[in-house]
Amino acid sequence: MKISLNWLKDYINLNDIPTDEIVNKITISGLEVEEVDYKASKYENFVVGFVKEKSKHPNADKLSLCKIFDGVQDVQVVCGAPNVEAGQKIAFAKVGAVIPDGNFIIGSVKLRGIESFGMICSEKELGLSEDHSGIMVLDQNLEAGMPLADALHINDVILDIAITPNRADALSHIGIARELSAIFNRKVNYPEIELKRSKLRSVDLAKVEIQDPIGCPRYVCKVVKNVTIKESPEWLKIKLKSIGLRPINNVVDVTNFILHEIGQPLHAFDLDKLEGKKILVRRALDGETFVTLDSKERKLVGTDLMICDANNSVAIAGVMGGENSEVTSDTKNILIESAYFNPSSVRKTSRRLGLSTDASYRFERGCDPEITVWAAKRAAHLIAELTDGEAASGEIDAYPQKLKMKIVKLRFSRIERILGYKIPKREAIKILENLGLEVEAIDSENYKVKVPLFRPDIEREIDLIEEIVRVYGYDKVPDIKNISVVLEARIDESGSKDKMRSVLTGMGFYEILTNSLLENTIANKFGKPLAMMNPQSSDMSHLRPSLLPGMLNCISRNIKVQEKDLQLFEIGKVFFKNIDIPESNIDSFSQFSEEEHLLAAITGGRSEDEWYSKKEEVDIYDVKGIAEEFFSKLKILNSLKEVNLDNDLFIDNVICYQSAEASVARIGRIKKDILKLFDIEQNVFLFELNIKLLNEISLNIQEFKELLRFPKVIRDAAFVLDEKISSNEVIKSIKEINSNLLHHIKLFDIFRSESLGQGKKSLAFQLEFYNESRTLTEDEVEKEFWQIVKFVEKKLDAKLRG
Amino acid sequence: MEDRISELGMLFNTDLSQTGSLKALEELRIKFFSRNGLITLLFEDFKNLPKEEKPKYGQVLNRFKNECQEKFDLLKGKLESESEEVTDKLDLSLNGRKRSIGSKHLITQTMDEIKTIFAGLGFSVYEGPELESDYNNFEALNFPEDHPARDMQDTFFINKGFLMRTHTSPVQIRLMQSKKPPIRAIMPGKVYRNEALSYKSYCLFHQVEGLLVDEHVTFAELKATLVSFIKTLYGNDVVYRFRASFFPFTEPSAEVDIWWEPKDKPGRWMEILGCGMVDPNVLINVGVDPEKYSGYAFGMGVERQVLRKYNISDIRTLFDNDKRFLTQF
Repeated sequence: MKISLNWLKDYINLNDIPTDEIVNKITISGLEVEEVDYKASKYENFVVGFVKEKSKHPNADKLSLCKIFDGVQDVQVVCGAPNVEAGQKIAFAKVGAVIPDGNFIIGSVKLRGIESFGMICSEKELGLSEDHSGIMVLDQNLEAGMPLADALHINDVILDIAITPNRADALSHIGIARELSAIFNRKVNYPEIELKRSKLRSVDLAKVEIQDPIGCPRYVCKVVKNVTIKESPEWLKIKLKSIGLRPINNVVDVTNFILHEIGQPLHAFDLDKLEGKKILVRRALDGETFVTLDSKERKLVGTDLMICDANNSVAIAGVMGGENSEVTSDTKNILIESAYFNPSSVRKTSRRLGLSTDASYRFERGCDPEITVWAAKRAAHLIAELTDGEAASGEIDAYPQKLKMKIVKLRFSRIERILGYKIPKREAIKILENLGLEVEAIDSENYKVKVPLFRPDIEREIDLIEEIVRVYGYDKVPDIKNISVVLEARIDESGSKDKMRSVLTGMGFYEILTNSLLENTIANKFGKPLAMMNPQSSDMSHLRPSLLPGMLNCISRNIKVQEKDLQLFEIGKVFFKNIDIPESNIDSFSQFSEEEHLLAAITGGRSEDEWYSKKEEVDIYDVKGIAEEFFSKLKILNSLKEVNLDNDLFIDNVICYQSAEASVARIGRIKKDILKLFDIEQNVFLFELNIKLLNEISLNIQEFKELLRFPKVIRDAAFVLDEKISSNEVIKSIKEINSNLLHHIKLFDIFRSESLGQGKKSLAFQLEFYNESRTLTEDEVEKEFWQIVKFVEKKLDAKLRG
Repeated sequence: MEDRISELGMLFNTDLSQTGSLKALEELRIKFFSRNGLITLLFEDFKNLPKEEKPKYGQVLNRFKNECQEKFDLLKGKLESESEEVTDKLDLSLNGRKRSIGSKHLITQTMDEIKTIFAGLGFSVYEGPELESDYNNFEALNFPEDHPARDMQDTFFINKGFLMRTHTSPVQIRLMQSKKPPIRAIMPGKVYRNEALSYKSYCLFHQVEGLLVDEHVTFAELKATLVSFIKTLYGNDVVYRFRASFFPFTEPSAEVDIWWEPKDKPGRWMEILGCGMVDPNVLINVGVDPEKYSGYAFGMGVERQVLRKYNISDIRTLFDNDKRFLTQF
């Protein structure tokens, strides 16, 4: 909200307080000043200049040569404007000035061979209007050398204040003045209203009927007759323009002015267009249409509150007036509406129509029903004055049930209990009083506080405490050095994920974070997704049922920028429906699932081409190794069983890792048709797991194993055997021997060659023998080794390679 | 015997001084130290000495052998290092063999920092669902229906009753419903806002909120705790201010700004967190007596701090996951 400091000073004396201090204090106490616009600062180095002489430029027909007095000296200026003449007072930009239109600095330049020291400005160049037909000619009586900002009365400071939704009372200049009055402990001066006497009486000229007193608790109106619609006077236009409003005419401008003065939205009807000279406040008919001031047709529903005349709707209450009763240049008689509408009713309508106006913005936050009469009078007074009209005396005041001021109890000791420090009683009471509240002592501890209706946010004791502490100043909260700490066991629900991240980053993975929102078809491809009721756009309409599309999208984008070797992981939530049910029917958490997953993916080279190695592509064994190391570091490897699966929709070569209870993780290669959806042509391997299920596996904490004190003996055995036999089968059969001396078997080479025979391969194993309590003899090992070799040769039809 | 030792010593020294290669050194070793070497033979002769002379020459002979051995080793070391330099032509300008570990996302790194600070202050860590009920996200937190306060948080709805949480405060509600005070916890997590994607806004972001409920919690204590946090995160001389604000779920409420001077730009206040005393209505909603207990709550956005700290101008960079970005941190 824009507040003009000049305007504000009409209601409170702030001349002795520097602007900085006003800005700082009001911000600290809860009305945050987001921007301060010093209007005059744009016109540094601009002065009123006097054109002493004008002659033709010797080298250019369209340019003239002027001698300008800038208050200090005469300077030579080349000017291209057709209307410059000797004797004029003009807006002069001295060397060093920054021209607002285009933001360029005036230097001394040569124009067609003649030096020029400054510029005579047009309104457009000054950023005052779009007029660029010639230079701006100023009032003859101005003194040369006077700062231009002063000459043009551009000395205002505009504050842009963010008003929190609870502070309806601060949405006007007087509202801000009231706040400053509490902060600086000084008086607010309300403008005086002097209405000329009139024989006409408002009550004789119109009638008001409220059919819905809940939607409209109070409706005040006043009539002004015989008006002349014209431009507003300069003072009013300057005020409106200073806060960014466009002046329209002397009636509309007054209603806008009062809205920003006191916060009461007003509406002016053309009285002669109101059939039956009657106002009826009622709910709209379902399906009723209505054309608002902006010439748009609005469809209404039965809960919308309407202002009607004897036959037709004439305004959407509190939101916008209608075209049919608009004030035009022909309007002669005016009815001023100053009403109080139910905040929630206005909000519903405004939101449903997507139509937010200065009026609806204030009504939905809660206006002051008690200011309506004052605002109507103030408007009638100003309109009558500016339109040469006659304000009818009195007002029509439909107020079926008077709204009462709230009374809130305040226990003084409670302030210290909540804040932890004392605020002097006298100061606390003064703060409440300056804010317009009435404080009455019951005893030294208990107080009764009467809250005016313009503060709907103050309802409870805690609200009073807040008012006191924020105005007293958050900068006065003492810096205490000790806090009390409750000693309890600390719980960290995110701890296991921290561990997972450390393990994966240790293995070279980078963590990514992708959007949880996906486009419809992709989301449906990967699960049963939930759709958003109000998506921002169609490519972000569904919640992800899997982390895979986000990952593949990320891989695809990286490949496009030539980053093809990737090791990435994401930890995040996935969402899916448990039953087939439209989103609108969901009414319980059990109908959908939200699971936390971890997805790691690798693609491209395991290593790049380097001087010491050649690039190698990753394969399924990389991701398997990653999974095994991951489980091992999380101390759950021994609790998991590997199971091969073939029927997955998205991945080939699937290995599932199962705990005693559930399948918790899987690895595999992503299918080509899935990769194609993301334009990926290289293999991608994934490792995916469910974090909750993983956390449920009990850790197997391995006890320390004594270090071997006797030497171990290593023997190699390479078997030539059939392609079909897996390495695991060989290991299994070696183990069948049940050797007491053999402790470790490792496959260390796979070799294929025609020399081995058709469909044959060679698997070479390293066998590790030892005894924990003595040194083995050569003979013992030899014997054990050959027993193993013989057994394997026989069982798997294998041959030991020479 | 004495003469023989000194004679052999001279021979050894002369030979040694003429030895210039590892090959020649090996020859020297064989000549003096091998099984039939001259020094070894001297020891054989020593065995044949009469008993009474043995103690006299034993020591001398040992010392002599050790001296020769030392000289030999010294030369060996010298020759070996010389020969290495000649044979392995090292190009030390080659880049080293790559070892790479990855990294956590910048957002995770920053959340970890925040978590660590509050862990030191005894705060537990709790998490909760991102798809929440309207009750937990708004109603229980004292957002009246049809109130402009709801506009402060543009919301993605699944339907009238379910939505994507707009803050992690519903975790506070869940925690207070399941655990009696005292409560001292933070709630990190992902939250959603229905906003168009742009350089300064994304449809989701990360928050860390905190909650403390106990019998004697005060506003001054809230400030002291947060000041300690801010100083730890931003340095002891950080310039900060508390200013009054409004949140439906706290009262009194405050926002905290720190003074920030970006490179080549004028300084300005930057809001880093919101906080306040838990509103009595919220305590009542979760069955905690506001006369007996009071509490404070605070919350901060993580992205904003990341953008500022690393001078990133477009928030979408954080979610593009470009490897060239990821590997920088």
